[in-house]
Amino acid sequence: MAYNSSSVNISVEAPIENQIQEITYDGQEIYQAPLTLSESLAKYAQKIDFSKALNEINVKKESGDTSDDNKSDTDSKDAFQSSLWPWDSVRNKLRNTYQEICVLADVLAIAKDKHYMVLDPVQQEPIDTKPMVQIYARKKALTGAASVLLTGAERLKNSQNEILRNRSTPDFHIELLRLRQNWRLKKVSNTIIGDLSYKTAGSKYAQSGMFEVTKAEEEEKASSPPSSPVPVSAPAKNNSSLRVTVPSELQGVAYIEVLCQKDHEDLCSANINLLGSAPATANPDVHWQQKLEAAQNVLFCKELFNQLAKEAVQLQAPIPHMVVGNQIMATVLPGIQLVIGLCHSTSSEKKSSQQSTPAPSKSDHDHVLEHSLHQLLREVHHKNTHHPFPHPSSAPLGPSKKRYLAGPMAADRYELLEMTQSETLLEQIIKQAQHFFMRMRTEYVLDTIAKEVKDPLISSHWNTLNSPTQSCVKINISTHGYDAVCRTPLVIHVGEKSLKCICRDGKVMHMSYEPQELRDLIFCHINQHQILAVQALAKTMGWQFLGNSNHLGLGTVEPLGNASSCLLASPIGDRLIAVRCEPQSGVQVSVAHSPRTDFFPSRLVTERKWEHLGGQFRDVRLEKMEGRNFLHKMELLMASLTSNS
Amino acid sequence: MGVTVLQQFPIVENRTGPLTIDVLTKRISALGAIQQGQFLVDCETYTSVPQLGNQRTVHVLHNSEQPATVFSILETGTKTIPLATDGLFDLLMMKMNSFYTSKKLTKAESKGPRFEIGDFLVKLGSVTVSQNFKGVLVEVEYKPCVVPAMCWELMREFLQGFLGSSVQSSPPSYLQNRMQEIYTPIDTIHQYLEQFTMYRKTPGMRA
Repeated sequence: MAYNSSSVNISVEAPIENQIQEITYDGQEIYQAPLTLSESLAKYAQKIDFSKALNEINVKKESGDTSDDNKSDTDSKDAFQSSLWPWDSVRNKLRNTYQEICVLADVLAIAKDKHYMVLDPVQQEPIDTKPMVQIYARKKALTGAASVLLTGAERLKNSQNEILRNRSTPDFHIELLRLRQNWRLKKVSNTIIGDLSYKTAGSKYAQSGMFEVTKAEEEEKASSPPSSPVPVSAPAKNNSSLRVTVPSELQGVAYIEVLCQKDHEDLCSANINLLGSAPATANPDVHWQQKLEAAQNVLFCKELFNQLAKEAVQLQAPIPHMVVGNQIMATVLPGIQLVIGLCHSTSSEKKSSQQSTPAPSKSDHDHVLEHSLHQLLREVHHKNTHHPFPHPSSAPLGPSKKRYLAGPMAADRYELLEMTQSETLLEQIIKQAQHFFMRMRTEYVLDTIAKEVKDPLISSHWNTLNSPTQSCVKINISTHGYDAVCRTPLVIHVGEKSLKCICRDGKVMHMSYEPQELRDLIFCHINQHQILAVQALAKTMGWQFLGNSNHLGLGTVEPLGNASSCLLASPIGDRLIAVRCEPQSGVQVSVAHSPRTDFFPSRLVTERKWEHLGGQFRDVRLEKMEGRNFLHKMELLMASLTSNS
Repeated sequence: MGVTVLQQFPIVENRTGPLTIDVLTKRISALGAIQQGQFLVDCETYTSVPQLGNQRTVHVLHNSEQPATVFSILETGTKTIPLATDGLFDLLMMKMNSFYTSKKLTKAESKGPRFEIGDFLVKLGSVTVSQNFKGVLVEVEYKPCVVPAMCWELMREFLQGFLGSSVQSSPPSYLQNRMQEIYTPIDTIHQYLEQFTMYRKTPGMRA
C-alpha cells in the first residue's frame, strides 16, 4: 500500500503519570517517584477532618496509661517538629478528643462514687409568673393564629364564589334536583327515565310519555345553522348541564285549533293543511323545562283529539260529523260548522303555504272553546281518579254514588238506563258552540231592534253569571219620560238551540234558533206595551178607560200578530179617544165628541137624548202633533181635550 | 213505583196455563195494550240450621222491574223484617250456606209477558213452583199514584174490566192495613211472597 501525502500517522499515548522532578544535561528525565503505599495512606489521612466526623470512636483508656501515653506522644511530637509529618494533625485531634473523654470520665466518677467530691444541686430562683402578662401573651398569640385562619377561610370563600359566578353551566346535580322537583323521575339500571304523561292524573291514554335524562357534554358547540354566513355570532343558548330526550312523536309544539265558520260549498276539498299555518316552531336549544312542558302539551292535545275523533265516528248526529286527517267537522246550527283540528308542528318541518285560499287568520281561532275542551278532558281525568266519598267497603270502586244506591233504593230500569247515559266530549263542546251562536244572534237581534225602534226604548240587561250552555237577558220596554207610568219587562233564557221567553204575566214562549222569531216576538210586545201605556197614562190623567181588546178582529188582517185597541173617555165624558195599535204599521188615534155636535132630530130619530150615542170619529194626525214620542203626544192630546166646565 | 196489586186468576177447567195467558193477552191487547218484553219474579227460601236456635226463614226475591235490587224477607217466629239490597246480597247468601240452607224444591217464580196501557202496567205471570205449573198471577201497577187508598177504586174497576168477576171488592190482605201509607217496591214483594206461600201450600193447581 502506498501512503498518500494527505494521510497522517497518529499515535495515541497515555500522558506521563509521574511528574518530572528534574531533567539531566543529557536529556534524561528523572521522574518523581510514585508514592509508596504508606505515603499515600498518610496523604489521605491528612484529609480527614475529625471535627466533622459523624462516628466518633470513644476510646476509654486507663488514667495512668493515658497520662503516660500522653507524655510519650508529646515527646514524640517534640521530636518531629517537621510539618512534613502528615500524622501531626491527626495526632492533635485525637489528643483533644482524649482530653474531653478524660474530663467526662472524671465527672462521672465524682457523680457516681462521691468519694472526694460531691455534686450538689443549687436551688434555682423561682420564675416570677405574672398571670395577666401570660393572658395577654396567650391572647395575642391566639389572635395572631385566628387572623391567619380567617384570612385563609376568606380566601377560600372568595375563590369558591369566583368559581360559581364564572361558571356558565350550573352543577349537574342541582339541575337534576330542580328537574325532580317538577317531574317524575326514576333510575333504571344506568339511565334516568322520566314520565310526562297524565297517567297519575287520571288519563287512560295508551301512549306513553317517557323521556330520558342525560348529562350534556362539556364542550357544547353553538349549533349554528349551516346556511348562515356568520358562524360565530350565535351564542350558546343551552346553558344547562343536563339534556332531556323526548320521544320523536311528542317533539315540537301542538295545540287544538277550534274554528266556527259559515258553511262552505266545497266541503270535499277541505284542505288538510288548512290548519297547518303553524304555531311558532320550537327552538332546539330551548331549556329542558320548556321542552318537557311542550311535549306534555303535545301528548294532551293528541289524547284530546283522539277522544274527539273516536266520538265523532261513534256518535250519530242528524248531520253526520266528518273526520278528515287531523280535522273534525261538526255541524252546530244549520249553516254553521265547528272545525276542530290538531296543529302539531315539529321544528324540522317548515310548512309552506301551498293552499290557494289564505289560511284563516289567528283571530278566527276560538280560544274560549279551546280552553273549554282542555277543561272537559281534565274533568274526565279528575273523575277517573277522584271517586266520591264515602268509598264503599264491600263494593267495587268505580260506579257513581247514584249507582251504589240504586240497589237498596229499588231503582227501576228506566232510572238505571238514565244513569248509564253520559255526555261525550264532542257533544258537550258542540252544545257550548251552539249556545255561543245563540247568544250572539240574540244580542244582534236585540241591538238591531234597539237601534231601529226609538219610540218605546228597548233596554237589555244580560246577566253577569251564566253557564257555558245557558244565559239570561232581561229586556225592558219603556217610553222615555214615562218609565214610572208603564214598563213592559221580559226575560229571555238563551239555551243551546232554543230561546225561552217569560213575560210579566207568566206566559212562557219557546222559540227556535231562527232570529226572526225573536224579532217578531219583540215587536208584538212593543205593540202591547203601547196600548198598556196609553191605558196607564189615561188613569193618571183622569180619563176613563172604557174598553180594550188585545186581539182586535176588526180592520185589515195584520201580517204580524194582531192589532190591539182601547177606548178612553174624558173626565166629564164629552170626548172619546180611540187608539188602535198595530205591530207593523204603528198607531192610529181617533177622537170623537160624546154628545153629537151634529145631531138634528129627524123623522125617525126624534128625541134629543139620542145625541149621546157616539159621534163621528175623526183621525188625529200624530205626525203633525207636537210631542217627543207617542205617549207624550197622547198626554198632550188628552190635556187639550179635557175641558174645565 | 206506583201502587201494585196482585190478583190470582182462576184457571177454568178445560184450559191450560198457557191458554189462559193467551186469553188474557187477547183481552188486554183489545184494550190497546202494547207488549213491552217479559218479566220475572222469583223467590228462594233459606232456613236456618238448628244450631242457631229458633227456626228462622229468609226469603230472597228478585224482580226484573228493579234489576239492581235483591229483596229479602227474614221471618223469625214473631217478626218479619224486609230488606232491599244491592245485587251482591246473593253472593252473601252463598257464603252463608253453612248457616242457612236452601230447599231447592221450593223455588217459586212467576214469569210472562209485560204490557203497558197508558198509565197502567199489566203483567201476566204463570207461577211455577220447582218447575211445576201452579197457576196464573196477574200484577197490575198504576204508575202515577203512590197511595193505595187514593187509587184502589180505579184499579179495581180496571181489573174487573178485563179479569171479570174474580176480582174482590176489597183490597188485598197485605194492603188493607197500609192503605194510607206510601207504596214502596218492597210492598210488591210482600204480596208476591204471600201469593207464593199460598201456591206452595196447595198441591196441584190452585182453583
